[in-house]
Amino acid sequence: METAALIVVLVIALALFFDFTNGFHDTANAMATPIATGALKPKTAVLLAACLNLVGAFLSTEVSKTVSGGIINESAIGHTLLPELIFAGLIGAITWNMLTWLLGLPSSSSHALFGGLIGATIVGFSASGINFGVVMSKVILPALIAPLTAGIIAYVATKVAYGITRRYDGKPDGRSGFRWGQIFTSSMVALSHGTNDAQKTMGVITLALITVGWQTGDPTSADYHNPEFWVIVACAGTIALGTYLGGWRIIRTLGKGLTEVKPAQGFAAESSTAATILASSAFGFALSTTQVASGSVIGSGLGRRGSTVRWRTAGRIAVGWLLTLPAAGIVGALAALIVRWLGGWGVVVDAALALVIIVGLFLRSRKDAVTASNAMSDVAESGHAVELPDVPGPTRRASRIELMRALEKAERKADDAERAAKKAKKLKKSGAKPSEVKAARKAAERAAQKYAEAEKAAAEWEQLSASRRARAKLAEWDLGVDEQEDAR
Amino acid sequence: MSIEIDWLAFLSVFAGAIVGAVAIVFFYALGLRMLVRAGRVPVVTPAEFTDAITVISEKEIKRAAKQAAKAARKSPLTEVQKNLAFLAAIGCFLLCALAVAAGIFLIVSGGH
Repeated sequence: METAALIVVLVIALALFFDFTNGFHDTANAMATPIATGALKPKTAVLLAACLNLVGAFLSTEVSKTVSGGIINESAIGHTLLPELIFAGLIGAITWNMLTWLLGLPSSSSHALFGGLIGATIVGFSASGINFGVVMSKVILPALIAPLTAGIIAYVATKVAYGITRRYDGKPDGRSGFRWGQIFTSSMVALSHGTNDAQKTMGVITLALITVGWQTGDPTSADYHNPEFWVIVACAGTIALGTYLGGWRIIRTLGKGLTEVKPAQGFAAESSTAATILASSAFGFALSTTQVASGSVIGSGLGRRGSTVRWRTAGRIAVGWLLTLPAAGIVGALAALIVRWLGGWGVVVDAALALVIIVGLFLRSRKDAVTASNAMSDVAESGHAVELPDVPGPTRRASRIELMRALEKAERKADDAERAAKKAKKLKKSGAKPSEVKAARKAAERAAQKYAEAEKAAAEWEQLSASRRARAKLAEWDLGVDEQEDAR
Repeated sequence: MSIEIDWLAFLSVFAGAIVGAVAIVFFYALGLRMLVRAGRVPVVTPAEFTDAITVISEKEIKRAAKQAAKAARKSPLTEVQKNLAFLAAIGCFLLCALAVAAGIFLIVSGGH
């Protein structure tokens, strides 16, 4: 029992460390878009994110209950082996997280955690230790569906935001007012991060406490899987601290490497992220906040006129998403194997290995200067998956309005041409000076030419209002950061 | 071992999230539109000019402010109409706040 207690203490420490790295990693999820549009100063944004993560962690414990009371069949595994498996799983998660962070691969803290736990349980115990139904319905399917859902919602929301504020008379549309709104929506994203990500660590700690019987309350009651209050406080505090310290790296880069996000688009993306995560948290779905935020940024980019997908970047992000769970699972499984072979000593070996890896990676990361490429998260990266024109082509309604104008103009020009021609004829008949007749004829020719031009313009607008592709061709593109990247 | 998956739950999450997000965006955008109609075009300066902001420069802000003032002067609406639009804008923003508060209340109360 004493070794088990020791391992539980280690699990708590490691879980809190994981919580810290999670916050450290994810500040940019909430704050990349408001910093990019200038809605918030980077310093204010980071402080706000930290505070709201703290608050969010207290709001809901549904996700924590999913982790502590469903994924792993704790009664089947028994209280001596389970803490060791959780420990191995955490080591898998942290190692994979640190590795991807250093290599700049897109990854997800949440998937790393679940992958590590599942891998460690399957190898260290057997597949029967996992409740595949719960894993499927509360982890894997939400993981696949949520980014897509967030993308679709962000797409619709962006269309709505632009559609309602669009003006056709060229007067100011007040869209910069979305910057005010962004302060609130990005706060909601930070809050929702607390309701989902902080809960995962709480769940792991609660699971470990349950196995050694340190969890208070009646084991048969439904509330037994609720985290202890001190666990909530510790996890909330750690994730907030991680968020705050992680944000400083963003501040130092001053938002370099962010894609161009307009306030209306950022507002829509943030609303979609916050709504998706909050709704999922209420149902106890543990999803990757990073992927949801990335999905929203991509969806909102696509919601803007004239956007095209950069499939290579999008593909790289998707592969990173799909890879995390199995990869962390393999690392967790390896750690679990060491525990199985060496017993109690295996834990010591695992801990030593983890320490070496963490310290090594930390020292390695110190060597690198903080740059845009490593400070911003996958969310910023995913912004590059959508290509946007500098000035999009006209909308259908705008081109119809132009068509009407062009037709009116053509009509006017037709009248002018007719009048000029009549005048020339009249002059010729009345026997005016040849120079006067010549001038009148020339004027008539000019008017006729102008009429032809106006007709041509009207025909062009007619074609434009009928064809989406023709309108898209009018978009102006500049060689921005993205194109330079492509050229490389 | 049969795996039962609660597809209805996914659907509820999707429905809840899309209704919430689109409602907030809709009312906020409508609020802005009403502000513009009321002749109070918001020109919001970026809090800090980071490298990421290619959207707007200080010069452009000044121009935008000028345009906003001009548009407000030339507005064909009467004072009453303008005030009504302003009230509508405030109403829209309040609805937004209400939607957010309702969302948080649902989370805290644990109700689905």
